[in-house]
Amino acid sequence: MLMEVKNQIKVMILSFKYAVMREMLNKVTFLSNIIFMILNNSFFIIQWVVLFSLRENVGGYTFNQVLMLWAIASGTFGFAHFFFKKAYSLSDTITNGKLDAYLVQPKNVLISCITSDVSPSALGDLIYGYIVIFLSGITISKFILYTFFVISGGIIMVDIAIILGSLSFYISKSDMIAETGNNFMIYFATYPDGIFKGIVKILLFTIIPIGITTYIPVWVLTKFNLFYLLGVIAFTICITIFAFVIFYKGLKRYSSSNLMVAKI
Amino acid sequence: MKVIEVKNLSKSFKVKIKEKGFKGSLKSIIHPKYKIIKAVNNISFDVEEGEMIAFIGPNGAGKSTTIKMLTGILYRNEGEIKVLNLDPSKDRKKLAYKIGTVFGQKEQLWMHLTPMDNFKFFAAIYDIPEKEAEKRIEELSNLFEMESFINTPVRNLSLGQRIRSEIVASLIHNPKILFLDEPTIGLDPVVKENIRKLIKKMNKEYNTTIFLTSHDVLDIEKLCKRVIIVNNGRIVMDDTMNNLKYHYLNKKIVEVKSKEKIDFNDEDGITILKEKETNLKLEIDTRKKNLSDVLKLIDPENIIDINISNTPLEQIISEIYKDNKVEKLKK
Amino acid sequence: MKKYLFIYKSEIMSSLQYIENNLLNFLGYFMHIFIFFNLWDYIYSNPEELINGYSKCQMIWYIVITEVIWVVVGGRKLCRLISDDVKSGNISYNMNKPYSYVGYRLFSHLGEGTIKFFIFIVLGGMVGYLFLGEIPNLNIIQLVIVVISLILAITIQTLCSILIGLLSFIIEDSNPLHWVYGKAVLILGTIFPIEFFPTAVQKIAKLSPIYVVSYGPAKLFVDFEIKTALNILVAQIIYLFVVYKLCMLMYNKGVKRINVNGG
Repeated sequence: MLMEVKNQIKVMILSFKYAVMREMLNKVTFLSNIIFMILNNSFFIIQWVVLFSLRENVGGYTFNQVLMLWAIASGTFGFAHFFFKKAYSLSDTITNGKLDAYLVQPKNVLISCITSDVSPSALGDLIYGYIVIFLSGITISKFILYTFFVISGGIIMVDIAIILGSLSFYISKSDMIAETGNNFMIYFATYPDGIFKGIVKILLFTIIPIGITTYIPVWVLTKFNLFYLLGVIAFTICITIFAFVIFYKGLKRYSSSNLMVAKI
Repeated sequence: MKVIEVKNLSKSFKVKIKEKGFKGSLKSIIHPKYKIIKAVNNISFDVEEGEMIAFIGPNGAGKSTTIKMLTGILYRNEGEIKVLNLDPSKDRKKLAYKIGTVFGQKEQLWMHLTPMDNFKFFAAIYDIPEKEAEKRIEELSNLFEMESFINTPVRNLSLGQRIRSEIVASLIHNPKILFLDEPTIGLDPVVKENIRKLIKKMNKEYNTTIFLTSHDVLDIEKLCKRVIIVNNGRIVMDDTMNNLKYHYLNKKIVEVKSKEKIDFNDEDGITILKEKETNLKLEIDTRKKNLSDVLKLIDPENIIDINISNTPLEQIISEIYKDNKVEKLKK
Repeated sequence: MKKYLFIYKSEIMSSLQYIENNLLNFLGYFMHIFIFFNLWDYIYSNPEELINGYSKCQMIWYIVITEVIWVVVGGRKLCRLISDDVKSGNISYNMNKPYSYVGYRLFSHLGEGTIKFFIFIVLGGMVGYLFLGEIPNLNIIQLVIVVISLILAITIQTLCSILIGLLSFIIEDSNPLHWVYGKAVLILGTIFPIEFFPTAVQKIAKLSPIYVVSYGPAKLFVDFEIKTALNILVAQIIYLFVVYKLCMLMYNKGVKRINVNGG
């Protein structure tokens, strides 16, 4: 068992290394992707400067907290898309029979598949996250906590992408559903939770778990709370198990490249 | 020893039917219609260790579906599969260590890396220690004659070199069975011949069982001693190559365009398929009539153009299929 | 012109096949509007309050309109398509075709967006009404002007994406430029009206494409004035002409370059 995990990690690292090498073939494109993404994200500071000029706090958040919100949102997105880019094209992989290559390997299909590509622009998001968290004032413990939340939130986002992507085992052409679902995660992540009320707020801590990837981390970064931290860990573990179960249940229905829509 | 045992295997797919246009789109959302397609329908066969077996049939006959079930890619609906005494869908990972796969149309290699780096990657996938892997790579690259391009990125290789690399990559872990799905598709005849030679050599060297699907009659003729022909998801023939050759690959088609009309009479071994002024199409049964004897009957001075060809595989299969029906009726 | 209309028409027909995707897209649009509805609801302490001259109701209608343009054009994909065409050299196959590449891309993209436009305008209007319970008071002529200005905005925005895509002739990969352009339009004219920024920024924004591709039609919808209408329409026509010319110039220059290189 331990040996198996060790070997899986070895392949993961090698596959990550090769994927990065592929992107680095064109260094100019690689770097400009990263730099422009950082620039691109920076525009949102303008949005918040404007909003904070109108009100002293927005949704109960101070400007500093909004910076943390942005750092977490951007960091988790970057982590998920940089290391697990393929999780976001799982629908396409499934419907076009591209899982075949991973299925004939003696490794975990899902892990091998989602770690086989990287997105350079997402590295820009990840770096941007760290820049912004530094701007919000940094201590060592905050840095460690932030890194932890980036990983936990990133994993949750990947899990959601896996669950949505696995729909393709059941529904043909579900790629748009997956895309829409994944976008929901991004939309809400950059706005303070205080502006939402009622049912929406409940949804944000359950079905669209932005609360757990983003809001709780901001609260904990502002004022440490062990109970919340453990909650995030528990949720991350549960949803990861759930994602794997869903994927492997669906895999039994995998039809390689035989799935077609007949037109008459 | 039997390495593959298949009993009453079936697989069907549910396919969504969609009508054209706006109305059709709406209809298929609200009330989707499905059709069940039986891709593989109750097939059974065994393969012995070291055999080179060809699994052929027209497009959509169920070849790939069968291969995918044997390798653990697809789950079966009904029946039993044992590959090296393992159930592919239950022991997928265990089986993966023992089999190799090459899908001619799908690339498993990293395009930006050299074959060497790719092989090292595959060695890691199969948990082969580095020293051992290096030895194995050297051995295989000698066998497949790839010294000249082993350090060139795959994207810069020719199609033939690429398929050689694909095959070597799938042999790194010394598999007992190699599944080759259309390995020569898209290659030119010379390269095809070369690949065949190498596959044969490998089979001899390691006694690897080879399970091959192909469209190319020559692939099968040159490589395999046994042929299984499938059509519409069923096995229509499972026989030795020699038998198949004797019964079906014994016909040559000769097409002649001549200056003056040639007179040919139907005789034993020669059938006139088409005769239109100076164009003539003959079928020659090579068991009864030697091809060169027939050609002697035509005055070389009179020929404008001549073309000699084999009966196309698709035609042979449909003939076998027809025969099969007739036999069934008789029973 | 006839052939472009044909391209346009056939693109509309084929987009009908994917009508369900539009509905999913709309869900995303709805979420955006929903978030902003909540945001402005929080920021405005009472419905009568005016912020930079906009009431809460106007603010939300403003974003209902600008987001329609934003979603219908979705320039990021178009830019990627064109820069891929440039990088792969496919663009040179279009040289000996009897239509202009720019025209072809423009009309096929507009065709793709037409059905989406109608769906979003109708549903977006319904969502706005649902949230706010009132619609800006416009007469028929004013409404027609707003629609014309919307169509011009979508056309110019499409051309801008094509132009940025064509910049791949000069720089390695122009996609990142489009992200930044897109973000600028999003922040400085889509989620906020230009009036929300310092006067210096306002002056620049009013000269930039933001004024014609996003701010213009939305401003007319929430606060119609004949003088601004004329201003915006004239600016739009000038922009349409200039951006189109720039696209052609870029294309012709770029293709010549490919020829020289024998690509």
